[in-house]
Amino acid sequence: MTEDRLIRTDRMRFTKNSLSSNLAIAAIIFDVFYFLKIYQSDVGTFYYNYLIGISVIYNLVFMLAAFLASEGVKNYKKPYSWLLFALGAGQILRIFILPLRAHSAVISSGGVEIAVMGNGQFLWVVACLTISAVCLMASAVVNLVKCTALEAHRKTLADSGVCV
Amino acid sequence: MAELSLQHIDKIYDNKVQAVFDFNLDVKDGELIVLVGPSGCGKSTTLRMVAGLEDISAGHLLLDGKDITRVPAKDRDMAMVFQNYALYGHMTVYENMAFSLTLRKENPNVIHKKVMAAAEILGLTSQLNKKPAQLSGGQRQRVAMGRSIVRNPKVFLFDEPLSNLDAKLRGATRREILLLHKRLNATMLYVTHDQTEALTLADRIVCMSMGHVQQVGTPLELYDSPNNVFVASFIGLPPMNLLDVEVDHGELVGKDFRVSLNPEQKRLLESYQGKPVILGVRPEDVEEGAGIPLTVSVNENLGMNTLVYGNIGGPSGIKLSAKLKGWKNYRHGDRIQVCFKRIHLFDKETTNAIR
Repeated sequence: MTEDRLIRTDRMRFTKNSLSSNLAIAAIIFDVFYFLKIYQSDVGTFYYNYLIGISVIYNLVFMLAAFLASEGVKNYKKPYSWLLFALGAGQILRIFILPLRAHSAVISSGGVEIAVMGNGQFLWVVACLTISAVCLMASAVVNLVKCTALEAHRKTLADSGVCV
Repeated sequence: MAELSLQHIDKIYDNKVQAVFDFNLDVKDGELIVLVGPSGCGKSTTLRMVAGLEDISAGHLLLDGKDITRVPAKDRDMAMVFQNYALYGHMTVYENMAFSLTLRKENPNVIHKKVMAAAEILGLTSQLNKKPAQLSGGQRQRVAMGRSIVRNPKVFLFDEPLSNLDAKLRGATRREILLLHKRLNATMLYVTHDQTEALTLADRIVCMSMGHVQQVGTPLELYDSPNNVFVASFIGLPPMNLLDVEVDHGELVGKDFRVSLNPEQKRLLESYQGKPVILGVRPEDVEEGAGIPLTVSVNENLGMNTLVYGNIGGPSGIKLSAKLKGWKNYRHGDRIQVCFKRIHLFDKETTNAIR
């Protein structure tokens, strides 16, 4: 290991994993953009069913879990990476539930057929969810890599009798 | 290399109050100078002017020959350690120490090296992940010093850094500062009102009163040859006894006592015949022996020594304190005999030492 890399690893003993933490926060922000865009739709009664209720509850749970995970990865807690992976996968999965259904749905209003979600709005929400998912996955990967490096470094230090 | 020169420095506030008068001092590279004096004497103001936290009303401040009188504080390459530590409570020790370098956008690896080196010097390696609230006062002050060390400044400034610590911790931290100075060999300016700190730490002491420099010299010079009554009474614990006497044909005559002079002292006092002078005697220069009658009022045993406070002659006589060797058990009202091993002489009018 080069000296620079060694110092970078040693620095992790005293600094926070702000990259992972910030990525998780960014994922929350893009989720907020997503639901702001989708909830502003006012097309007939398409959204007035149980799916929107579940969506609202999931958004709340997602934000709470992602924030918790961001604090966890900030302190190099490895298990939070798995939570971030799960949340990331959930964001991808969500594309195929509400946005895709709304995009393909058409309602009739006064004899005129209107698309529930236009292409522009669809691209926007899909982009938000995708970016959010990428952020979560990246956060998880970065944390895993850093945690593994830090664990190995701590073990080396402990073996050489340095107080860790 | 960091030589500091204060030339004819004055500090006059907007309300026309003058806090510092014609301050002159040349600080050599690697020297530890202690500014000592009572509260309000201008020592902290002087330090703040050096740091750039106060404007200099008149005079010049030179660092390595370069005039920095009007240079802003941030560009002076000096680090200051405050009495109240001034640490960020929400940051860890590591983050506190790294903070100034992070602000300067230095390479994080370089910052890490510097912080680890400073932590090693100060024995803070195991505390780096703690917040200031989890540390003792001494450790917090070490963190504050560490924050200065990582900057590798030309001059370290300490503004009463030990005042918030209890007596035991103060002694330990004082020794740490001394070791730090030896290790870094840095130029340091240290402000305190505690003469023990001044005597133990300083290469040279600047004794101040009412904005004026009273004496500059090594601790021994200030203790052994005080320039005036103020320095004599300020340096030394308990303070020097100052007795009003009159010169009378080779003797000093006071109320209820007489002190014989040696030939050198007689020569010094030739022009003072019949005039009043001030006789200074350090308590540690008072010893038991035939000569001056002392009525004991208080006896304080310190282990190796005993502090005896009393009055010359009767209970209404001039007050005198003595630091006698060994364990004594005098009671209030006991009459003992003391003599002076060494005396200092001061002019009654000017209060300057007679030399």
